[in-house]
Amino acid sequence: MPLETPARIVKQLARRGYNAEREAVTLLADEPDSDAALERALETLPDDALKLTTDHVRESIETEGRDGDGSEIPDGDRSTRDGHRPVDENPPTSTGDDDGSPADAGSGSPPETKGSGEGVAAATPTATAAADGAAEPISRNTDPSKRSITVENDMTGQSTGTGEYGDFVKVFRDRYEKLSKQLRGRVNHRPTDALESMGGGSDAAIVGMVSDVRSTASGHWLVELEDTNGTFPCLIMKDRKWADQVQELLFDEVIAVEGTLADDAGILFVDSMHFPDVPRTFKPSTADRHVQAALISDVHVGSQEFMEDAWHRFADWLHTEEAARIEYLLIAGDMVEGVGVYPDQDEELDVVDIFDQYRAFSEYLKEVPGDIEIRMIPGNHDAVRLAEPQPAFDEELRDIMTAHDAQVHSNPAMVTVEGVTILMYHGVSLDEVIAELPDDKASYDEPHKAMYQLLKKRHVAPQYGGHTRLAPEDRDYLVIEDVPDVFHTGHVHKLGWGKYHNVLALNSGCWQSQTDFQKSVNIDPDSGYAPILDLDTLDMTVRKFS
Amino acid sequence: MREADEQYFERLESDLDDAFEVAKAARERGGDPTKDVEIPTARDMADRVENILGIEGVAARVRELEGEMSREEAALELVEDFVEGEVGDYDSDAGKIEGAVRTAVALLTEGVVAAPIEGIDRVEVLDNDDGTQFVNVYYAGPIRSAGGTAQALSVLVADYARALLGIDQYKARDEEINRYAEEIDLYDKETGLQYSPKEKESKFIAENMPIMLDGEATGDEEVSGFRDLDRVDTNSARGGMCLVAAEGIALKAPKIQRYTRNLDEVDWPWLQDLIDGTIGKDDDGDDEADGEDGDAADGEEAEGGEAGDETEDDADDYPTSPRVDPAKKYLRDLIAGRPVFSHPSNAGGFRLRYGRSRNHGFATAGVHPATMHLVDDFLATGTQIKTERPGKAAGVVPVDSIEGPTVRLANGDVRRIDDPEEALEVRNGVEKILDLGEYLVNYGEFVENNHPLAPASYTVEWWRQEFEAAGADVQAMADDVHVDLADPSADEAMEWAREYDAPIHPEYTYCWHDVSVGEVNALATAVENARVAQTDGAVAADPASTQGGDLVLPRSETVRKALEHLLAEHTQREDDLVVPDWRPLVATLGFDLDSLDRDWTVGDLSERARNYDGGDNAIEAINEVAPFEVRERAPTRIGNRMGRPEKSESRDLSPAVHTLFPIDEAGGAQRSVSDAASHAEEMNDRQGIVDVEIARQRCTDCGEETFRARCPDCNGLTDAVYECPDCDREVEPDEAGMAECPSCETGAYPTQYTEIDVGEEFRNALESVGERETAFDIVKGVEGLMSAEKVPEPMEKGILRAKHDVTAFKDGTVRYDMTDLPVTAVRATELDVTVDQLQSLGYETDVHGDPLRHDDQLVELKVQDVVLSDGAAEHMLKTADFVDDLLAQYYGLEPFYDLDDREELVGELVFGMAPHTSAATVGRVIGFTTAAVGYAHPYFHAAKRRNCDGDEDCVMLLMDGLLNFSKSFLPDKRGGKMDAPLVMSSRIDPSEIDDEAHNMDIMWEYPKEFYEATREMADPGEVEDVMKIAEETLGTDREYTDFAHTHDTSNLAAGPDLSAYKTLGSMTDKMDAQLALSRKLRAVDETDVAERIIEYHFMPDIIGNLRAFSRQETRCLDCGEKYRRMPLSGECRECGGRVNLTVHEGSVTKYIDTATEVAHEFGCREYTKQRLEILERSIERVFENDHNKQSGIADFM
Repeated sequence: MPLETPARIVKQLARRGYNAEREAVTLLADEPDSDAALERALETLPDDALKLTTDHVRESIETEGRDGDGSEIPDGDRSTRDGHRPVDENPPTSTGDDDGSPADAGSGSPPETKGSGEGVAAATPTATAAADGAAEPISRNTDPSKRSITVENDMTGQSTGTGEYGDFVKVFRDRYEKLSKQLRGRVNHRPTDALESMGGGSDAAIVGMVSDVRSTASGHWLVELEDTNGTFPCLIMKDRKWADQVQELLFDEVIAVEGTLADDAGILFVDSMHFPDVPRTFKPSTADRHVQAALISDVHVGSQEFMEDAWHRFADWLHTEEAARIEYLLIAGDMVEGVGVYPDQDEELDVVDIFDQYRAFSEYLKEVPGDIEIRMIPGNHDAVRLAEPQPAFDEELRDIMTAHDAQVHSNPAMVTVEGVTILMYHGVSLDEVIAELPDDKASYDEPHKAMYQLLKKRHVAPQYGGHTRLAPEDRDYLVIEDVPDVFHTGHVHKLGWGKYHNVLALNSGCWQSQTDFQKSVNIDPDSGYAPILDLDTLDMTVRKFS
Repeated sequence: MREADEQYFERLESDLDDAFEVAKAARERGGDPTKDVEIPTARDMADRVENILGIEGVAARVRELEGEMSREEAALELVEDFVEGEVGDYDSDAGKIEGAVRTAVALLTEGVVAAPIEGIDRVEVLDNDDGTQFVNVYYAGPIRSAGGTAQALSVLVADYARALLGIDQYKARDEEINRYAEEIDLYDKETGLQYSPKEKESKFIAENMPIMLDGEATGDEEVSGFRDLDRVDTNSARGGMCLVAAEGIALKAPKIQRYTRNLDEVDWPWLQDLIDGTIGKDDDGDDEADGEDGDAADGEEAEGGEAGDETEDDADDYPTSPRVDPAKKYLRDLIAGRPVFSHPSNAGGFRLRYGRSRNHGFATAGVHPATMHLVDDFLATGTQIKTERPGKAAGVVPVDSIEGPTVRLANGDVRRIDDPEEALEVRNGVEKILDLGEYLVNYGEFVENNHPLAPASYTVEWWRQEFEAAGADVQAMADDVHVDLADPSADEAMEWAREYDAPIHPEYTYCWHDVSVGEVNALATAVENARVAQTDGAVAADPASTQGGDLVLPRSETVRKALEHLLAEHTQREDDLVVPDWRPLVATLGFDLDSLDRDWTVGDLSERARNYDGGDNAIEAINEVAPFEVRERAPTRIGNRMGRPEKSESRDLSPAVHTLFPIDEAGGAQRSVSDAASHAEEMNDRQGIVDVEIARQRCTDCGEETFRARCPDCNGLTDAVYECPDCDREVEPDEAGMAECPSCETGAYPTQYTEIDVGEEFRNALESVGERETAFDIVKGVEGLMSAEKVPEPMEKGILRAKHDVTAFKDGTVRYDMTDLPVTAVRATELDVTVDQLQSLGYETDVHGDPLRHDDQLVELKVQDVVLSDGAAEHMLKTADFVDDLLAQYYGLEPFYDLDDREELVGELVFGMAPHTSAATVGRVIGFTTAAVGYAHPYFHAAKRRNCDGDEDCVMLLMDGLLNFSKSFLPDKRGGKMDAPLVMSSRIDPSEIDDEAHNMDIMWEYPKEFYEATREMADPGEVEDVMKIAEETLGTDREYTDFAHTHDTSNLAAGPDLSAYKTLGSMTDKMDAQLALSRKLRAVDETDVAERIIEYHFMPDIIGNLRAFSRQETRCLDCGEKYRRMPLSGECRECGGRVNLTVHEGSVTKYIDTATEVAHEFGCREYTKQRLEILERSIERVFENDHNKQSGIADFM
């Protein structure tokens, strides 16, 4: 389907100073000659109107384009579903009573929480509930022409692996090559099969993929590193100051070590260890204008725990003055609850049909102002393959979600928004990082710290064979080849953010209240938050809607 | 004890003594680890307890206490002895507590199971945060075999000992309390608990527990919160702890409370809250309902909203007959290829009949052999079924004195099939199985499961008593050769009913409760329009003389269905339905049999009758119109499905082992000793030299060093020599068997890595027993020994085992597994023995007390006599030959058995031995059966701590066990001592067996009061006065006899010999057969079956394999080396060979098409279809190249 049409219509409308309901845009886009339809609609629009409504567009289409049979499009055809708010007919007054009274905290300017490392996310997010703000909905007046968005590392439609042994080898080799490139400049790598001939006692360095980590009987660490020639054992003495870094190691990440060969040259005594890491000097890029993006994830439409009301408040708020600068919405996976994700899931589903779940999601998306650019990636609850990288939805699902011209990319994907590069990754590997590493390095309460680890390793899911599933492709899409300005994940349903070597790491909470399962394993999710990112400063504000 | 019983046991024991003499003489000479037999005989429980624990003085003290108090009280009494040091030799407090706890568990498990040694790892005294000390009991997985009561009491015992020793209580930290809750939940999810405590309950227990429950990690899954705790050394679930807390403390709180009350030193007031069930229930009502779920009554939980609500509504609105609620828990985890026979309480399913057949009781279900054939042979003797009630599972036994199934054939005939031969003849023509026939369950099952009695079917046993109560001289009629009380003619039955004003005979009682009032009326209308005709179709000349012909009814779907659901035999033709023997049916409908007129209309029926059970149950209506009383024919239907198939096969290790001699990898994948004997690493290496880890022993007589159990020079016993691995210094182990090097502080080992000349060993062994390599196909050794000291077995034994085609278990014995089934009375004919043989075994009279003369007389089975399956008999014969050769060729003694054919096996002694236990029970072979099961007295099974719900265990030939078993061979790991005969019971004391067997009823007839109580759905306890169970004879002279039964069966092995599950080949064949059967059975909802197969079988398989694919290991095709991840070099790092995947596309995709087909063919839910669709797409997304597709994306959308 031609995705550019709605975008073009929105642009044209904006150029002439009109706002429009998304349904209206869709209706226009569906017309055979959408430009002519747009002209007609605008001609008949009352002078004082700022927004093109669905009804109006219908009217204009009916009268002009067809044989004037007004009953052809019945009212019920509009996207009002049970339990859904109808699409706003009269936006300026539609927020009504459910928003409550103008409340506390001098509405409009919630305290900002600047993402700045530890401590911030640990505290309760200080954002005020925007829902209480009751700011008047406004007509959004954005200029799409100022926008720019590009996507890299999207492997949708590029999946070439067929599940052969060779595919697996290829993907791991690619990982090794890409990451070792980051490390070669720092040490003088010697191939593992050349080390033994170097003679005992000589200094040596290896850049290798971690193939095994063991502790010895006496408490030292034996790390087996692998390159394309073989493996070599490296001993890290427990009394090294940095020895506890060994506990941060995950299988199959790539590191470099320097040290001295043992007398028989059969083992390397490690003096220093290096990770690919983000350079401390890293300077993130920013947008040229004051524009914002909302970064959310884990909507879980279809679940009985989906927080519909919070979502409505969020969508309403996006129509307000406060949100006028928000021109992008990025969703990091788990749009719907899915089917068959765990046993007997149907008993906990509100919407049992997977396609209906996406239809419902699409309806919820329609509540978002039509001029907001939406990008998303799939998560483990979405109806795509679970093995990573995950390609975007197939045509059938995309067709369901045509209502909004949202675009779906693969998981992970690098989305560059007005110069700011955002690495979007759903975050399944976070579970493993949190399970494997000590609590102070990674925990569910501070999910961004687990993300720091991934940045440090420059790979979104290093460990193979455990929790994370891998689908072999011709290259490793999971490597973080270029340092992003922002790293955005979800999955663990906890809100947390902070900066790691100037990269903003954000795990964006969810829109699902605590499930029975989470209750049983003691996870208290952060539900109904919308982190808002200033693209020109990379400062973060968190809005609460629950 | 009766004289006859005493003689029986003396005879067993004297035979045992003879065998011991021979075995001792042999072991004295051979290369065995000890000179004596290693299975001590225990005459009673006290002996067993002491033998298993190895704590001296326990037996004597137990015997002292036994007469005075219960076993539980004795266990507590012994705590004082341990604490005071009167029993056991422990210095530390921890040691004393440990001894007391182990002893308590051993006592409570009758010294049979391995739990006391394997289930309790250790006891520690640790520090509380406030500086006081507490007791930590460290449980392990095998505590499971102790059962809830013993587990719970072990905690109480530890606490009592703690109190006596003045140690403080355990004060749990908050995170520990939370950890308990999460962990128990995790374990429940991963492994499953009989009782799932709610979070609050778990926390409550953890908070109040005066000692710390700890244990080994048993699973791989880790808790996600509350990790890395100080005092908990694992993040995985500690299975032993979870079992003790949930199935012990939470479930058995009332039992523990009984004992805490008697003890001044311990006080567990919090138990009351657990018993009252108030924990976690105070928040809201929902929780309460949840709580019931996990409870013993959880059968009801699964019935779900619909069924439950419906019946409740009905109960409110309409009067109805007593009915048990359907329970569908048994359908969970349905397995592909194992069919459902009936959905919960569905009409057309098995009809509950009460009684105990002679091969029945003790968790079994009696099924007619014709039914077994008609369910396409899926049921056979010994097949396990998962059942709706009264228990969870039962072993199927053939009983042909109950009613068989009713079927509709393709030609429209509706017939009840009471003959297995007939079943086989008509099987191919069966279109629908309208009814599965009767299902015999004995009263004891309801007692054991504490299940309220379910309304009884109206059967001849009940009718006879009602008939008698109505004034008939039943005895005289029974003696009259012209009268068959069980199967009277129609006219007789109606005559009796009228004359005595008694209910109509069950033979002519139809399932009126399964048809609606409307259907009855439709049937009555059809009868009005019927004619009576000869079978050839000619209309009777005179309608008044309706005597001779059949009733011909105009056919309509309603009438056809009504007749089918009534289970009235008839023939269906295109336009009419022909009912032979129709007179009682029509009479019941209130018709004049001559005029075929009725004097009632539906309007005449009472309000109550019309609306009874919402009009769905016509029994009230029928009773208003019938000239005699009509009982409900089959008010209780019992749903069930196939569980495990029956088993009768030799127990082989995998790969099979002939000799416990290590040959490393020199023998190849087959572990062939002869291959190892000629194996050489390099061309020039000497052949047969193998590097292995093996024992380091020294002769106690001459000091010679060897790896053998006996000195090669002087045949003296050798002892392990412990050496420090660092400094090679020799270390003496301490009393606990621990050896630590005093200078290096590392553990010393009794083993060494050394070169062994397997070739020489092999040749010497061959020579020593005088055999050549042609005597056998292959002798298989082991890669390495698993025992602590790694002493190998003399290879001669393996050569002779291989010669006779038997293999060794890990402990050196030869075993044969069979499904357990009970039998209390047998006939010589069915055992393939002669009456002379029975007489020679001491059987003198039949069950009626008449002298035993004929092959077909029924005799009461003696408690330790066992019936072997044909396979077992053959295996025992081979074992006997092996033992004889071993005695003659290796030990240099006379053969012991000298058997030529299997009938000579009769009278030989065997061991019976169950998994998870450590005590064998001596049995004596009495005969053979073609069924693939081991029939024995229920007491024999109970002595091994088995019941018969599909459990299986093994038999071993006596002399083989005595000669070849050694503790030295047992694996040095958790559970290694399980399933090993550490002790044997020579005689069964009925008081010292699993008390489940005491609940078996032993009556010739159930009284009328019982049947009436079932209509009240009384608790089984309410009728105990009129019933007799085995418990009543305990401790009396009659405790070994009088096992009466209510039903006979003509053959213990009737029905198919093997379940179709075992004879069908591939999983697809099995599943096809399962689905075909589900369509045939009226009581089965085939869509539900299909859903469940997909849900429980296909989905997990596909999802599991897809997951496994994307995280798989790889393996070298050339050398077998495994890699966690694909090597970066691509090839094998060990040998440079080709590495390949271990999970291929094929294993991921193999079921997806079948599953999708099944989902569509059987109309599964959209949800299920969608899941499959999404899975299929996920699979395609992994295995398809986007750039190289044969077709466009659209093609598979």
